[in-house]
Amino acid sequence: MADDTKSLALGLKRRDPDLLDALIEQYQYRLFRYLLYITGNRERAEDFFQETWIRVLERGHQYDGKSKFEAWLFSIARHLVIDWQRQKKAQSLDALTNPDEGAPMEFPGDDPSPLHLVLTNESDATVQASLEKLPAIYREVLLLRFQEELGLVEIATVLSAPLSTVKSRLYRGLEDLRLLLAGATA
Amino acid sequence: MSQELHTRAEQLIAQERVEGILPADQHWLRQHLAECPSCTSRAAATEQALRSLRSLSVPFPKTLASRTQFRVRLRAQQLRAEPRWRMVWAACGVSWAFGAATAPYVWRGLEWAGHRIGLPNIIWELGFGLWWALPAAVVAVILMIDNVGRSSESAWKRQPN
Repeated sequence: MADDTKSLALGLKRRDPDLLDALIEQYQYRLFRYLLYITGNRERAEDFFQETWIRVLERGHQYDGKSKFEAWLFSIARHLVIDWQRQKKAQSLDALTNPDEGAPMEFPGDDPSPLHLVLTNESDATVQASLEKLPAIYREVLLLRFQEELGLVEIATVLSAPLSTVKSRLYRGLEDLRLLLAGATA
Repeated sequence: MSQELHTRAEQLIAQERVEGILPADQHWLRQHLAECPSCTSRAAATEQALRSLRSLSVPFPKTLASRTQFRVRLRAQQLRAEPRWRMVWAACGVSWAFGAATAPYVWRGLEWAGHRIGLPNIIWELGFGLWWALPAAVVAVILMIDNVGRSSESAWKRQPN
């Protein structure tokens, strides 16, 4: 893995367009899913998807090859979303989405929600409904841990948060998801 | 069975999935689950929640990847061009500064050479004008080389693989 990420880092430093094409192909689904989970909006996720890869091109020299590429990729995507949130509401994503610090993130008053519309055709309705009720901050860590299978330290890197915060969000998110699913199926 | 044991089991059920647990704890949990229906059902519900989460799929927009690749290639071209332009402007600036600093000496030098050879004043004065046009000529040559390089690069890219 170390050799792979080192050669990846070299290619990114050179801004190799063929390498970027291959990376876009390879990570397209995972990045889009992550963006969809944290923005809850398909169009916005598409915009951020493109902007993330432009940022990867421009800042490729900052990837040192010591960590997993996907962790670095997700942290770039996350920062773009946070910047956008800050511009929009002058607050960070965490402040918007951490229920312990205030009201949970609310998506624009579309009914049904954009996330629901995206997931409807493919997935179980109960899981969708439960996920939508979960604050984005918990959806995000659950996705990174159980779908992306990132390690706790890697998630902490993506979130730029302490390991203890990552763990507490995971425990809370897992418990909330279990309760929501149990409530939905009862 | 005491409430403490259930609480410990609940913590271990979550901890096992989030960060993993020690073999001793794992052994204890298995034994507890074998005897406790409520904790067994909690463990099953947690596992089911994770299975459901993992089973969710998101339809990916068909053209998004190709649109992104196109945009990234365009931006890459822009970024490659930027340092070349910086070089051209830097060369231009240095050239003009050097020209301005040496103008009096060049004027005197050309005047001296013109009189020595016996040239009419208009000829060596034209020579001085050419000296001032030299930076522009250098930039023109750089741009021409740059354009030739780019058109050959584009022709190479258009070739089928």
